[in-house]
Amino acid sequence: MILFLILALLSLVGGVLTIAASNAIHAVLGLVGTLISLAMLYVTLDAHFLAAVQVIVYAGAVMVLFLFVVMLLNAARPVSSRDPIPYVRELAVIFGVLLAGSLLLVLNGYAPPRSLANAASDLAGGAPGPVGAVLLSKFLLPFEAVSLLLLVAVIGSVALVLRPQVQEDPAPEPAAQPGRGETA
Amino acid sequence: MIPTSDYLLLSGLLFTLGIVGVLIRRTAVLVFLSVELMLNAANLAMVAFARAWGQLQAQSAVFIVMTLAAAEVAIGLAILIAIFRKRVSTEVDPLSEMKG
Repeated sequence: MILFLILALLSLVGGVLTIAASNAIHAVLGLVGTLISLAMLYVTLDAHFLAAVQVIVYAGAVMVLFLFVVMLLNAARPVSSRDPIPYVRELAVIFGVLLAGSLLLVLNGYAPPRSLANAASDLAGGAPGPVGAVLLSKFLLPFEAVSLLLLVAVIGSVALVLRPQVQEDPAPEPAAQPGRGETA
Repeated sequence: MIPTSDYLLLSGLLFTLGIVGVLIRRTAVLVFLSVELMLNAANLAMVAFARAWGQLQAQSAVFIVMTLAAAEVAIGLAILIAIFRKRVSTEVDPLSEMKG
């Protein structure tokens, strides 16, 4: 129980850092903390394979991508101008508290359908073998669809970021950039 | 054993943090980050339900959600870079040219 409390606190601190840090790098690192504490919570939930995937894929690959883009786009500096929507911050916090309250009210009454000790033996600790067996039998169609989606995502992101090659014009001056002046 | 409702409460709190982040953040990268927080909160709830029911299907579904999130991040960040090339900024408020 004490372990759960520590991990829950760590993940919540990371989450607060994610949404409140003025430096974008700190926000990304806060989310990394949340993801790693969630991975440890997965271990306590008998999902060992998912814990490993969470650390490798999420905290590793995805977050490195985020850090890379934050540094590339120089998005680390805080936004200084005024928010064009009035009171959006206060309203967001108020509705967030309302949402959290209603979620807590609903979720607190959840009673599991069977005893946890009974159910845990069916999970086999969430080892890669049993999870993979389910993934490749019952979830075969989603699995294949997701692999196709990943392929499309890779090709799409390369196509989006690729600079268009201009053959005729030797010096394509970036003069005709719409909206450059108003945001700089 | 820790009751499932505790995990669900934590999941609800993380989801709320994510949705508040989407509302108050004004840089597109950080809005994405908050979306990731919401996805992870949902994943935590699914893993907790997997343990409550003793079924591995939910864990496999979480695996698929993680893959989807990775694809979404790749595409989303590529779009951000494309926007940044045109506008030198990734704030979401000026990006209103597509309104009808």
